[in-house]
Amino acid sequence: MRRQLRSRRAPASPYGYRSRLDDQDEVNQNYLADEEEEAEEEARVTVVPDLEEEEEEEEEEEEEEEEEEEEEAKAEEKGQGQPAGNAWWQRWQIVNEYLWDPEKRMSLARTGQSWSLILVIYFFFYASLAAVVTLCMYTLFLTISPYMPTFTERVKPPGVMIRPFAHSLNFNFNVSEPDTWQHYVISLNGFLQGYNDSLQEEMNVDCPPGQYFIQDGDEEEDKKACQFKRSFLKNCSGLEDPTFGYSTGQPCILLKMNRIVGFRPELGDPVKVSCKVQRGDENDIRSINYYPESASFDLRYYPYYGKLTHVNYTSPLVAMHFTDVVKNQAVPVQCQLKGKGIINDVINDRFVGRVIFTLNIET
Amino acid sequence: MTKKTLEIYSVELSGTKDIQQTDKGNGKEKYRGLKNCFEPRKNHYKEELRKEVDLDDHKLSIKELEKKYDTNIITGLSSTQAAELLARNGPNALTPPKETPEIIKFLKQMVGGFSILLWIGAILCWIAYGIQYSMNTSSSLDNVYLGCVLALVVILTGIFAYYQEAKSTNIMATFNKMIPQQALVIRDSEKMTIPAEELVVGDIVEIRGGDRIPADIRLLSVQGCKVDNSSLTGESEPQPRSSEFTHDSPLETKNIGFYSTTCLEGTATGMVINTGDRTIIGQIASLASGVGNEKTPIAIEIQHFVHIVAGVAVSIGILFFIIAVSLKYQVLDSIIFLIGIIVANVPEGLLATVTVTLSLTAKRMAKKNCLVKNLEAVETLGSTSIICSDKTGTLTQNRMTVAHLWFDNQIFIADTSEDHSNQVFDQSSGTWASLSKIITLCNRAEFSPGQESVPIMKRVVVGDASETALLKFSEVILGDVMEIRKRNHKVAEIPFNSTNKFQLSIHKTDDPNDQRFLLVMKGAPERILEKCSTIMVNGQKQPLDKNTAEAFHTAYMELGGLGERVLGFCHLYLPADEFPETYTFDVDTMNFPTSNLCFVGLLSMIDPPRSTVPDAVTKCRSAGIKVIMVTGDHPITAKAIAKSVGIISANSETVEDIAKRLHIAVEQVNKRDAKAAVVTGMELKDMSPEQLDELLTNYSEIVFARTSPQQKLIIVEGCQRQNAVVAVTGDGVNDSPALKKADIGIAMGIAGSDAAKNAADMILLDDNFASIVTGVEEGRLIFDNLKKTIAYTLTKNIAELCPFLIYIIVGLPLPIGTITILFIDLGTDIIPSIALAYEKAESDIMNRKPRHKKKDRLVNQQLAIYSYLHIGLMQAVGAFVAYFTVYAQEGFKPSILINIRVEWEDSNVNDLEDSYGQQWTWYQRKYLEWMGYTAFFVGIMVQQIADLIIRKTRRNSIFQQGLFRPQYWFVAVPFAILIWVYDEVRKLFIRLYPGSWWDKNMYY
Repeated sequence: MRRQLRSRRAPASPYGYRSRLDDQDEVNQNYLADEEEEAEEEARVTVVPDLEEEEEEEEEEEEEEEEEEEEEAKAEEKGQGQPAGNAWWQRWQIVNEYLWDPEKRMSLARTGQSWSLILVIYFFFYASLAAVVTLCMYTLFLTISPYMPTFTERVKPPGVMIRPFAHSLNFNFNVSEPDTWQHYVISLNGFLQGYNDSLQEEMNVDCPPGQYFIQDGDEEEDKKACQFKRSFLKNCSGLEDPTFGYSTGQPCILLKMNRIVGFRPELGDPVKVSCKVQRGDENDIRSINYYPESASFDLRYYPYYGKLTHVNYTSPLVAMHFTDVVKNQAVPVQCQLKGKGIINDVINDRFVGRVIFTLNIET
Repeated sequence: MTKKTLEIYSVELSGTKDIQQTDKGNGKEKYRGLKNCFEPRKNHYKEELRKEVDLDDHKLSIKELEKKYDTNIITGLSSTQAAELLARNGPNALTPPKETPEIIKFLKQMVGGFSILLWIGAILCWIAYGIQYSMNTSSSLDNVYLGCVLALVVILTGIFAYYQEAKSTNIMATFNKMIPQQALVIRDSEKMTIPAEELVVGDIVEIRGGDRIPADIRLLSVQGCKVDNSSLTGESEPQPRSSEFTHDSPLETKNIGFYSTTCLEGTATGMVINTGDRTIIGQIASLASGVGNEKTPIAIEIQHFVHIVAGVAVSIGILFFIIAVSLKYQVLDSIIFLIGIIVANVPEGLLATVTVTLSLTAKRMAKKNCLVKNLEAVETLGSTSIICSDKTGTLTQNRMTVAHLWFDNQIFIADTSEDHSNQVFDQSSGTWASLSKIITLCNRAEFSPGQESVPIMKRVVVGDASETALLKFSEVILGDVMEIRKRNHKVAEIPFNSTNKFQLSIHKTDDPNDQRFLLVMKGAPERILEKCSTIMVNGQKQPLDKNTAEAFHTAYMELGGLGERVLGFCHLYLPADEFPETYTFDVDTMNFPTSNLCFVGLLSMIDPPRSTVPDAVTKCRSAGIKVIMVTGDHPITAKAIAKSVGIISANSETVEDIAKRLHIAVEQVNKRDAKAAVVTGMELKDMSPEQLDELLTNYSEIVFARTSPQQKLIIVEGCQRQNAVVAVTGDGVNDSPALKKADIGIAMGIAGSDAAKNAADMILLDDNFASIVTGVEEGRLIFDNLKKTIAYTLTKNIAELCPFLIYIIVGLPLPIGTITILFIDLGTDIIPSIALAYEKAESDIMNRKPRHKKKDRLVNQQLAIYSYLHIGLMQAVGAFVAYFTVYAQEGFKPSILINIRVEWEDSNVNDLEDSYGQQWTWYQRKYLEWMGYTAFFVGIMVQQIADLIIRKTRRNSIFQQGLFRPQYWFVAVPFAILIWVYDEVRKLFIRLYPGSWWDKNMYY
């Protein structure tokens, strides 16, 4: 009777066990369980009651397949009270076996040999890939000079930036409340440390004004830099007025031009800075003092040779001292560079050749 | 025999009722599985069948009928009555299967597959913008645009998929309209022709030979009417109809004609008793639409694939969201990363690509006479592992054809190929002359007029199948049969009827010297032999002795054993003295001899296999596809055809064959020895599902004979339990549940009914089995090519994904933007991946086993790992090298890029230093970033070209497969150079002579 039943069932479920394992593979690969498989699960549950009777008759069956089914059947019995927990238990068992199958000594459905082969293959594959990448990058660096960028057209024309800079281009402060402007002063002081006269005199040379400071010779040679002393900034140097005019409602703002390797302003025509009200009443700013008084970047600070060789290069600055600005109202200011070869009207980039900020000084 | 089939049929039709009785009766769970497989539809079945049982109009007298339907058989309904009834009961047409509303279908496309993921992406974009906006009202609209693009992608792919689906269903709509049906009806005492749709219950309709019965009708008066119920029962034997009530069951009684069946000959008047969906056929059709449509294998595969990719996308997305948050990125940034990861992971264009690929193949298949209704069925055919094929019409030519002749003690073989071109048997014998005369004269079939230009075998004939066969046979051999008949004027005739089993006619001969009448007779061989006392051998009359009788019997048995229908022929020249020229023959009193005739020969007919079928079956076999024949025909005929087409191969035997060969009882035979099995519907009925499973697994060659279409459903379910992908062919309305149940239902385009075509996924326009094989080939090819397409498409996912991961972890400037990714997925990658669909097969795909539904996945582990971790990774690395090159050449060496992200993206930092100490404004950096996108994009593109080339093959070398010959690339090169040079010259002259005539005319 029993034999008969078995043989009758055998052809019906040749894939029964295997396909379940297969399904599980996929469940593991893809934790989102397929609906399809869920449906199968259900189907299996409906079949189990039939099997159960058979399994109960003889519990000792050594074949692996049988074991599996028995386990299921037993689990089924146990879990009759809590069918959900049962299903999870089954799943857990299968997952567990997938992770480590003691019988076949397989983990994740692979034997140790298979795993080690995979590791070896991947090691060599990725090692050679890494070698190729290294080779590529090495060749790349061979073609790139450390002193001069291959292309500079993206960074030209020069951009402009101001100091103090506190992640905002709106200068809002109340003259009578030092807390509102103290950070500008700290920022400026910090920024100007590198321009201290003593430091400049020690590190840099005093080169003749009005002409390029050209240092031909070997690329690798260290280049000298021209002095730009803090004292050039006069009232905005923070030497006489340590608050840079913020305490009196006459703030100093420093303007610098972005460094570009090899950039030379037009000869004899240094780049000038001029500021005005961007929008609104022209008379909101009644006077601006520029330091150095020429309001220009002297030619001797050009060209720049790059940071590798031009170590102590100090960017020239122009300080704008807003001595008489309308108070208690936001004044948009636009400072532009002027000179040949300078572009200051790029629509998309509001920092090329110009800078726009607002002053809102409260008293 | 006919009656017997009907019994089987009816039992099956009320299958569940039967089962329940057995259950109650003896508790033996014989039908347990059977019941199981019916269970979900039990109520449905019951309901439908009860209605059917209620039908008792066939038992009523005409008077009662008139009363019941408030009509008059002479005057018919009045047109007002008819209009009223029409309004109440609806038109007399099969309602197409219930369709989900278009909007639901559309919405389904909108949320299916990856769409939901992309919607999430889009919504995240808008949320991100919302957060940005709340922090800074002047924030850029990039995220809004991206969200809109994503939404647009989803909507467009949705519309595309929807359009594809709608297109394939539209084909059916046109099909429905292709069959205009008119009905001749009596209304207001007038005969009029109206569209069959307008028929109502109680209408009196007239039917003539050739008409299709326009509704279920109760026959009132009948003149020699025969109907072909094949669409209903699958039985092509014509069935006589009469107006008498002959059987309790409405399906078997002779006085009911069924909607959509054909009246072959005769005329009849009937009263409409059921219309539209309430007809028997309508009930079956709605039953069929109740059977759930199985998901196609390719749909399952794609779902599987979507799950994998979506799983990867979601898990990586969430993982990196968590990483990003724990790296103290802002939630907003993290959301943007998430969007990027989703967009990078989802192959947005792939589903559209798959659809296009499938529809290209569908188009190709349509040219090969496989009209694909459901696009996904294209591939299903390729993974088919069992084909359950009809016999009639699919494997055979669907016409009786003379196959063998026996005269002069010899069996001759006639040509049964489609055109009968070479009949090579010996035609010199005198016996043949006589036989041919009998064949020609004792035949009532006639060609329909006006077909002189049509090949003989294709002409339309009025008459039954056997007579048609004989007519065509004699027309081919002897020439103008009508002329011969005219010359041999017919003076009397007794048509064939089932009691006599013979047909007789008496002719004047065309021999002017011979004044005798010729009596010719044909019929069932044993009946004919009874009437004979002599036999003609080599043109000479000989007495019919024992030996010749024996020879006759041997020949008769042999031909019968081939499953052929055998007819005997005899004749007698009536002595001129007894029957002078003026003699009047009276067929009622039979004033002429009908015995002691001269036996001339036997002739056997069969519906021969199509000539292409054996080859196709062999191909199926080598392709690992099991072909099972399921037919309503007699087992012997079925077996004979199965043998001749190779479904039962030449050297395999059934249990019965072995028993016969070894002269032992059938029970003693070891069942394992037999490879083939012929199972009749009766046997099948008694089988438990387990036995059926055993049968299906143990025998490789199976023929199911005498099965009802309902049993087809059981067979299909049995096959599906073997994990097989089952293709089923069918034409009758009753096949439609099986067609629907099958993984791929194939309806016959010529013989198929509307319901079958509706239920099927594919329509064979030429009803030819061989077309299925070409379909299988295309299906397998498309599966292989889809694999290539997907592998190609998945590869770049890693290259698209890595930038985001690196961006988050290492803080490089973003190497590629989301929009750029979309551009790759939806722009540059679409056409190459579609092109892969045209790839030719690498090896003989018809020589391997069909794929295993569960094991041979479209996207398997190997494909995913190879695409992602091997090629994809190389591609990503390659693209990164391109990216680093751009940055390094502009001044940002890789070392400085690390963790530069925050400053890089701060639009207030306008003096960011690069490796050379140069300072960059935000916009300048942005511009550089876009250059980086381009470099990365180009990097991917260049490598995708290589990827495309490698994906052409999976095993063979590209050089074996062949590329576009590279030398052709260079043919146009001189012209390219010419263009360049010419334009340089143009510009040179413009520069040299500004303002000149040249400048004015050539400068643009």
